[in-house]
Amino acid sequence: MDTINEIKRDTLAALLAKGLRGDSRSMDEYRAVRIQASPLSNPDGSAMATIGRSQVMAGIKFDIATPFPDRPTEGVLSTSADLLPLASHLFETGPPSEEAIELARVVDRGVRSAAIIDLNSFFLEEGKVMALYIDIFILDHDGNLIDASALAAMQALLSCRMPKVEGGKIVRGEFVGKLPVKGKVVTCTFGKLGDRIFLDPSLDEEKGMDCRLTLATTSSHICAGQKGGWGAISERELLDLSELSMKKGNELRALLKE
Amino acid sequence: MGGNAADKPKLFENGKRIDGRKLDDLRDVKIVARVLNDADGSAYVEWGKNKILAGVYGPSECIPRHDQSLYRSVIKCRYNMAPFSGAEEHGRSGPNRRSKELSKVIREAFENVIISENFPKTQIEIFVEVLQSDGGTRCAALTAAAVALADAGIPMKDLINAVAVCKIDGKMAVDPGKEEDNFGESDMPIAFSPRTGDILLFQMDGLLTREELAEGVKLAKDASAKIRGMQVAAIQQVYSEPREERFLIIRTPGAEAGERNSPG
Amino acid sequence: MAESKIVMPGELLSDKPERISYAYVDKGKTYSTVVGLFFEGKLVPLEGPYEPLPDDLIVGLITEVKFSGYSVDINTAYPAFLSSREIRERYNMGDTIFARITMIDEVRSTELGDAKKLPAGRLVKVSSVKIPRIIGKKNSMIDMLQSATGCQINAGRNGYVWIAGAGNATLVEKAIRTIEAQAHTHGLTDRVSAFLKSNKQ
Repeated sequence: MDTINEIKRDTLAALLAKGLRGDSRSMDEYRAVRIQASPLSNPDGSAMATIGRSQVMAGIKFDIATPFPDRPTEGVLSTSADLLPLASHLFETGPPSEEAIELARVVDRGVRSAAIIDLNSFFLEEGKVMALYIDIFILDHDGNLIDASALAAMQALLSCRMPKVEGGKIVRGEFVGKLPVKGKVVTCTFGKLGDRIFLDPSLDEEKGMDCRLTLATTSSHICAGQKGGWGAISERELLDLSELSMKKGNELRALLKE
Repeated sequence: MGGNAADKPKLFENGKRIDGRKLDDLRDVKIVARVLNDADGSAYVEWGKNKILAGVYGPSECIPRHDQSLYRSVIKCRYNMAPFSGAEEHGRSGPNRRSKELSKVIREAFENVIISENFPKTQIEIFVEVLQSDGGTRCAALTAAAVALADAGIPMKDLINAVAVCKIDGKMAVDPGKEEDNFGESDMPIAFSPRTGDILLFQMDGLLTREELAEGVKLAKDASAKIRGMQVAAIQQVYSEPREERFLIIRTPGAEAGERNSPG
Repeated sequence: MAESKIVMPGELLSDKPERISYAYVDKGKTYSTVVGLFFEGKLVPLEGPYEPLPDDLIVGLITEVKFSGYSVDINTAYPAFLSSREIRERYNMGDTIFARITMIDEVRSTELGDAKKLPAGRLVKVSSVKIPRIIGKKNSMIDMLQSATGCQINAGRNGYVWIAGAGNATLVEKAIRTIEAQAHTHGLTDRVSAFLKSNKQ
């Protein structure tokens, strides 16, 4: 770990030892969460989610694609994330970093495991299925981009319209109702430093913490998990967090709009 | 330019364009400055259905070192479109040839006005993201970038902007929408320094007589003055309505604006 | 503060060629280069990068320990250096110091002196042009912040504000953000005073 991070770690550790966080939040408190549904009209679905000063846009577009050879009747779901250079002086231009790839794959895993979208309903004819592309655009980085991205993606799915398909082609601009979505997936991300665990790490906290744990939940199940960073979590901590993320997940779910 | 001649709609009829505008009418333009928290300067522009976000960083250390100039700040510019920005199919992430060309011509416009000699050995980065496109994105992008640069306090000779003109059914018209872009007979985006009238970006395709070109430039120049008024109003609003928190709020008919929700 | 006008880049300031900071002359007339307040012939930018001047008091972060001194982050794009000869104690990477700009050379590198180490705390980065407002006339604003929150505050002319001590640092940060947003307005001191009073716990 490079030395500047070590300095921030010490400062953060000192605060946490007193049971405090930099912005006076409690250990299981989210910053202000704000969701805008359908801010854009060109994509089939879109949403913006803001947690504290982090701002994320998600856009969804349908296309026609060839299915995977081992799943010939299943539609395609693909999630990608862009850590835009205008979002942070820490982000550079260029191909997706491992951070961007991890973020996209974690959000994707939650949606896919919970099976909230019936990919089999995307089958059109032999060799042709609907493909749903979720693109996450990080606009402003102040920590916990995973939860903000998952919220934006989930809201975009809830607001998504089904395009009309005619003669094996999508008729752009015409829709046949909304995308059927069974359930709502959200993620809760915790940071850890020493033996202190805190929900929704801000960028300052991310710079000092040892590791993070993200748990995706539906209202009844845990459907994805990802630990990031070099530190370790105990079994006890994992079980406690899985319970807490169900509770906190429900609070986030309540903010999503149909 | 392009589009199937058989599908070509009538672009100008009874003094009105396809969306009801007159020949010298701009589309609705809204500009908000200072919408991002990390960037040194930022701006958001809605221009017709275009929705464009610009962020600026700098002056900062020029990396890589071999890009550095001993005499001035190096201006860098990236124009990028979101994969979901178009009305048609899902695009690909990352730069393509068109976006690289636009990045270059936008950067060159700003190289004229940014007083880069004030900051040798540094870089100033301009990032423009097209969240939604509807014809004329490069003009809206440059206009947004100018406001973002002013928001960052980067010294410039002028607050510049860009407007395009087109030729539809034989008539010169300002600010083409998407169909006019696709089916018109010429498309000509122009960036002006409003103070001097100097042209800092100029592109053109199609067929124009010299008179049509002159008429087009005049139309663009008049429109550019109006756009400058909106840029100034956006900057003034930062100070007349100060906010401690910065949020990007995107207005769409029927969309719910952001609410403060805190699960606690 | 009497009425002053907010001017834009490229806006005419004078029909004559004048030597005004942040302005330029073209064909015998003077124009602004920045968004700023123009009043009685002076142009003060409302935003912009920190441009060091000799004798500026700044807050810096030690980023590198070198053989003969320290590299310091002072919120500019150019290197800043504190020579070991200038100080009696030794510093470590990550330490925060309050120091004076002693020299700026022709390639914009800065030298520091009169440094003292600041206790553990946190950094709030603001636009450097707003720092005078955060300090206030004769330290009036910063004194008010310190006594209302119990924190020790060092506001560097470079836009780095260091908040230390056992007091309510979050309240200080909120107050600073308010001052930063409203730095150009009247009655700010009263509003900040009211804000601090209503947030006292």
